[in-house]
Amino acid sequence: MSEHNDLTVQKRLVGIFSFLLLVILIIVAGYETKKTREGKAVIKVSGVSKQCVDCHTGKGVAVKAIDQWRSSMHAEQNIACYDCHQAQEGDFDAFTCPESDIVVARHPTPNDCAECHQEQVDEFTNSKHAHQFWLLKNADRAVFEFPLATRNGCEQCHQIGNIWPDKSVGECDACHAKHSFDLAVARQPETCGECHIGPDHPHIEIYNESKHGNIFNAKGHGWDLSYWSEDQDGIPLEVPVCTTCHMDANGVQKSTHNVSARLAWESQAPWSFRTVWDQEHLGDWQTKRDRMESICKSCHAPDFTDTYFLTADLVNLQYNEIRRLFVRWTTRMTDDGVISREEANGKFYSDPVLNGWDEEPERLLYYAWHHEGRRFRHGAEMMGADFTQWHGIWEVQEDMTEMMQFAADHGYAEARAWVASNNPVKWVPYALYDIPGNAWGIPAVTNKTPFLYNNYPDYWEKVRANVRTAYQAGLLSDSEWNLWEHRYENRDHYLGLKYDADSTFDFYKRRNDIDTDAFTKQAVNLQLPSASFWEEAQNGK
Amino acid sequence: MSESKSDGTPRPDRRDFLGKLLMGGGLIASGLVGLRNVLAYIFPRVRPPKERKLLVGRVGEVEPGTAKELEIGGEILYLIHLEDQYKVFSGVCTHLGCEVYWEGYRDRFFCPCHKGQFAADGSVIAGPPPKPLNQYRVEVEDSLIFMWLEERRERGVV
Amino acid sequence: MSGKIKSWVLERVPFDLEATTHMMSEVLLKEPIPGHMKNWFYALGATPLLLFGIQVITGMLLTFYYVPSPDTAYQSVRYIMHDVRLGFWIRGIHHWSATLMIIFLFIHMGRVFFTRAYRKPREINWMIGVLMLVLTLGLGLTGYALVYNQLSYWATTVGTNMLKEIPLIGMPLLHLLRGGETVNPNTLTRFFNLHIGFLPTILFGLIVLHILIVRLHGVSELEGREGEPSYSFYPEHFYHTILLGLMLLIFVSALSIINPPAVGSPANPNVTPHHIKPEWYFFAIYSILKIIPLQTGVYLFTLLLLTAFFWPFLDDAVRRKWPRVRMHFWVGSAAILGFLFFTVWETIQP
Repeated sequence: MSEHNDLTVQKRLVGIFSFLLLVILIIVAGYETKKTREGKAVIKVSGVSKQCVDCHTGKGVAVKAIDQWRSSMHAEQNIACYDCHQAQEGDFDAFTCPESDIVVARHPTPNDCAECHQEQVDEFTNSKHAHQFWLLKNADRAVFEFPLATRNGCEQCHQIGNIWPDKSVGECDACHAKHSFDLAVARQPETCGECHIGPDHPHIEIYNESKHGNIFNAKGHGWDLSYWSEDQDGIPLEVPVCTTCHMDANGVQKSTHNVSARLAWESQAPWSFRTVWDQEHLGDWQTKRDRMESICKSCHAPDFTDTYFLTADLVNLQYNEIRRLFVRWTTRMTDDGVISREEANGKFYSDPVLNGWDEEPERLLYYAWHHEGRRFRHGAEMMGADFTQWHGIWEVQEDMTEMMQFAADHGYAEARAWVASNNPVKWVPYALYDIPGNAWGIPAVTNKTPFLYNNYPDYWEKVRANVRTAYQAGLLSDSEWNLWEHRYENRDHYLGLKYDADSTFDFYKRRNDIDTDAFTKQAVNLQLPSASFWEEAQNGK
Repeated sequence: MSESKSDGTPRPDRRDFLGKLLMGGGLIASGLVGLRNVLAYIFPRVRPPKERKLLVGRVGEVEPGTAKELEIGGEILYLIHLEDQYKVFSGVCTHLGCEVYWEGYRDRFFCPCHKGQFAADGSVIAGPPPKPLNQYRVEVEDSLIFMWLEERRERGVV
Repeated sequence: MSGKIKSWVLERVPFDLEATTHMMSEVLLKEPIPGHMKNWFYALGATPLLLFGIQVITGMLLTFYYVPSPDTAYQSVRYIMHDVRLGFWIRGIHHWSATLMIIFLFIHMGRVFFTRAYRKPREINWMIGVLMLVLTLGLGLTGYALVYNQLSYWATTVGTNMLKEIPLIGMPLLHLLRGGETVNPNTLTRFFNLHIGFLPTILFGLIVLHILIVRLHGVSELEGREGEPSYSFYPEHFYHTILLGLMLLIFVSALSIINPPAVGSPANPNVTPHHIKPEWYFFAIYSILKIIPLQTGVYLFTLLLLTAFFWPFLDDAVRRKWPRVRMHFWVGSAAILGFLFFTVWETIQP
């Protein structure tokens, strides 16, 4: 009997072990499947570069750069140290490595990158990223700040347009940092934001405020941004990053390293003007605008896109009219000797229409252009509402007020009259543009309150005349003008004026009245028992 | 509980049955999976080999009729500029694996081990080598010369 | 229905079905096994047989993809490891089963030796066993040469070099194995033939003979435990064997993932690596040969081989002279210790 049980035990054991075998066989099969997934490329270095890597690794000098390189596409294609860092005797950056006799280039320039990436270098060289001109010409930097301050300041960002001794222009690793030259880094908005930041062009801030940036910050941190945009079927991201609109391909156009190819305005300039940059190769501003629109329309409805662009364009034009006022005053005051230009050795170092730092009108003009004027325009262009409003037009208007105050204080009757005036229309001492309604929808109440709408029955005729003049001057396209006309003809709809949602408004007005009562009772009408010590002192106590 | 059968052997009971079931099931299951694995081995799934593109030179760097020696991952290769095309040859002699040398003045590859000779296009001129030098696929893009190398990627097993 | 098929076959292959069935049942299934065999230790004879079976199957599978030519041998092994689905598994099993087979052979030999199962009348079977060991080692040597990596090439060169020292037949033997003066393409082809053809066939014949002789004698009884009750092969020993098979398959499959055999770098006749080592089972011989002159070494190992071969007779002679002395114990222990020592010594050398 025990033999019999033995046998059962045996059989069970066989069963158990065969299940174990089953498990192992499945693991082996699973291992096979895993094996077929790609591993990392095996990087082998050879030749001169192998000397570099071996010695540097051995001595622990700049070893992380080698690690970065290993993870790059260059390494996969056998492009190693010496391919970029080779130099001839007499090159501006040639030096002989102290541990060997290799002549090395300290600063690979775009000429070196161009050996393989000629197209990208050409595109870049033709763009405004490579245009260091204003940095060099303008007295902002050359006069107001001493040189040391600019080394890690202006010069760091504008290094992207550095003019090298070998006559090349640019700094390729400003965006795709060396030595991994990672596309994902180049696409990260914060990379652009290293330079496109700050009070004079808060682009990363505007992006982060915008819906695009918000969704990117909420959902985009796991996204793999290292793709080749031309290999994709359209745009592979849910929301755009900077390069999506300004550089990448979208299925209809190729990618470009020329960031000027898709911009229709020079909205950083003292006067907003339709760009004429490299028209021979890039086409006119309408072509450039079409390129940008094609990207927007990959995601957005044409109606929204068109209205949005038209509004932003009108903002640019409006800015010019406001600036006109500033320029008139500073020119006048300079001519009258009220303010003066800096000069030395027969050369001027400040400009009444550009900059100046020691007199109020100069400062106001500069800020109204360079800081709040740009924020006003760029916020409108890239959906940074707060920058359009509080950091933008609000501050521009305040600058204007101070300008008028200064003029009034310095004997200008016209300005004095303005300051003394009680007419609310004084706040728009310049020609006006406008567009019936906005791109977001139909507001049933908003447009019932503006002073101008309610007190000037010929308002819209006047505005229309201005818009038409701009159109006829070639500053708006045919389709833009047609859209504007359409909106004008249907302005009662777009302004919401023909709709009656007053009942809803009244609901909130009643709520507001309650709030008013509350603060009146709590704050305004609160009488504390004792007078202030000052009052007592005045009353001779 | 179990009664013996007429010939004295114990009557199979539930434990027996379960034991048999376990054993049978286990053997069949593991047998089937083992068979599946062996069949997967026998019937190869053809996967195109992964290739990687390597930069080996620039147009104009190598004169027509001359060769440039390359070292890729420890192996010697030659980039040679024939009339209107570029070729990349392995520097390993097809006889017994010695390293061949390019002799420009004689327009040939020479193997010192057993005096094998290859022409500039890799074919055998003289000596014991049984077949021409191994070639790699070459691609010229704009002014850059690339060769295609079969991938050696890190894998889990070896 | 099956009756009709049976009679159809029997008419054309006229053997005595009943007698054959009866004999099979008696000989194979009901083979009496002494009680002491219930201990797992005594199942060790079956293990090398199982492993041999595994080697034949995996070996045949490997020939699906392996190409025995110096140009392509290494590539084909790499191909098997990297690209063929589950190639690493088949080769892994083959590699590890080789090692396990030799280990279990040694253990089995040791068991047989220390229980003096070789004593009369089983001397011939012992001698066959020694031959089988030599063949298995030969299979290991020829097998590893087929990978044609640096280790294969140079270990083969060094290994076959030793043959020179054998008097008279040394040089012809060397030429026979190498197919020439030096290791050349012929060598690989010959080793391939030896490995998949000649050696396994002879080994198989000897295995059949070995098992047949065991059956004919019956499993030897332990000294001092004669007359114990025996049990039949089927079902217990049978299940033991199945379990063994399963455990072996599990073990070698696991090893194929955990510690897969390497491919190494391709054989380069021009570059001699700094450290050439044969497979581990030759470490002891290799180590000793490094200490003593080559010719002395060859003579020594020839002598050792002959001693092992004729051991039953030697042992018997000594026993008759000095009945108390358990010489086999001392000689066996010395051999094992020596083997272990030199194997470990060679392992820890750089």
